[in-house]
Amino acid sequence: MSVSTAGVVVRPESTAPARAPAPQRRKWPDLTRWLSPLGLVLLWQAASSSGVLPPDKLASPLTVFRSAYELVLDGQLVDAFLVSSSRVAVGFALGATVGGALGLASGLSRWGERLLDPPVQMLRTLPHLGLIPLFILWFGIGEEPKLALVAAGVAFPLYLNLHAGIRQTDPALLEAARVLGYSRFERVAHVVLPSAVPQTLVGLRIALGTAWLSLIVGEQVNADAGIGYLINNAREFLRTDVVVVGLLVYALLGLTTDALVRALERRVLRWRAR
Amino acid sequence: MAGAVRVRGLVKDFGPRRVLAGLDLDVAGGEFVALLGRSGCGKSTLLRVLAGLDRDVEGTFAVPERVSVAFQQPRLLPWRRVWRNVSLGLRGVDGRVVAERALAEVRLADHADAWPSTLSGGEAQRVSLARALVREPELLLLDEPFGALDALTRLAMHHLVARLWREHRPAVLFVTHDVDEALLLADRVVVLAEGRIVAEHHVDLPRPRRRASFADLRSQVLSNLGVDDVEAA
Repeated sequence: MSVSTAGVVVRPESTAPARAPAPQRRKWPDLTRWLSPLGLVLLWQAASSSGVLPPDKLASPLTVFRSAYELVLDGQLVDAFLVSSSRVAVGFALGATVGGALGLASGLSRWGERLLDPPVQMLRTLPHLGLIPLFILWFGIGEEPKLALVAAGVAFPLYLNLHAGIRQTDPALLEAARVLGYSRFERVAHVVLPSAVPQTLVGLRIALGTAWLSLIVGEQVNADAGIGYLINNAREFLRTDVVVVGLLVYALLGLTTDALVRALERRVLRWRAR
Repeated sequence: MAGAVRVRGLVKDFGPRRVLAGLDLDVAGGEFVALLGRSGCGKSTLLRVLAGLDRDVEGTFAVPERVSVAFQQPRLLPWRRVWRNVSLGLRGVDGRVVAERALAEVRLADHADAWPSTLSGGEAQRVSLARALVREPELLLLDEPFGALDALTRLAMHHLVARLWREHRPAVLFVTHDVDEALLLADRVVVLAEGRIVAEHHVDLPRPRRRASFADLRSQVLSNLGVDDVEAA
């Protein structure tokens, strides 16, 4: 049951048969896996210190660390972080509303599917990042094209996975629900929507990943605040250390939202066999 | 008691294949009828029609207002706890109380808050029975409900079904391909072949029954099914 229909990612966790959790003997994570990343950082530092890697190409790890510290202290990084986060939050809310509403409409109603699915499937083949020129023409170069880009990045994966999740509902369960006298509302609330949750969460994770990606691209366009602004500004002054700090913050934000969805998954999907 | 099921001239086609060919069947209120037949004989189709899952048929049939079904697979909602699986769809009652009572009847009272994925096959099938019975059906349709269970669990389930039937007295239409199972439980055994009833036996034996008590009947039913009973020969 874990394989989904074409065009959508396979569910992350397949249903495993019920069994007792493996005894956790190892208290410490396997530190040997950190050896090579640490080695690479040391190599990078050595290359910078010896002058092989000039600071206008890439600043040394120590410089990056120091700049990060300074940017946090003078509040620039925090401001940029807040601006970028709120762009993702607003854009995500917009995209999730649209994608969620369309996904529900086309998943739950035959006519909804007939009318909505074809245009959405056509539009999703467009690489949404390529829409920037149009968005600039439509919305100017302020906040709106950035939000629109994030929203577009969120709406499609959410729509596709919600729609597929609803369509995957086990007909045997629906049949049982009908025989047992569930009302239409009960069938949707207790059978259809819960069975769409795992696939929707996959969509949510993809959507959040795309949201950050869209933001990074969007913030290249005339940003006057946010992490993208910080990075672009630093480029003008050849401050590669600040560029790297900005990139690290992007990565950290992406990881954080992904971890949040995973925590949500564990909570919402606790009925699955562990 | 009034008749629970009345079927007249039921015809069902799947494309060019005639699965039910003008079938007539009556089941009295509180009667336990086993429906035997080889796979593809139309017994499961008949059950689906009576359950209202297949409306594209010719002929007439009447069933009571309250009909419940237990399928071969338990078909529990994996995302609802056991007691919610039992009580969902019921109206005007305290679901928790009713579900706990029904679960106690199938000896699963302590599993009310469990997730279905943590149950064994037999336990899940008992929950499915509790879910069917909690609706107080006048007609209980059982579609090979023990087909997927191991032999020992099956034996326990036979006792359970016999007891539940005795206590609730619904009319039961029990689809199976296991002759022993049918003769152990049913008042009447109906043999289906090619969409028609080809034989019918009243099992006038006191309950609980022993296998030895119906050896003759068993070979008769087997020969109805086109199988030679070597043991009885």
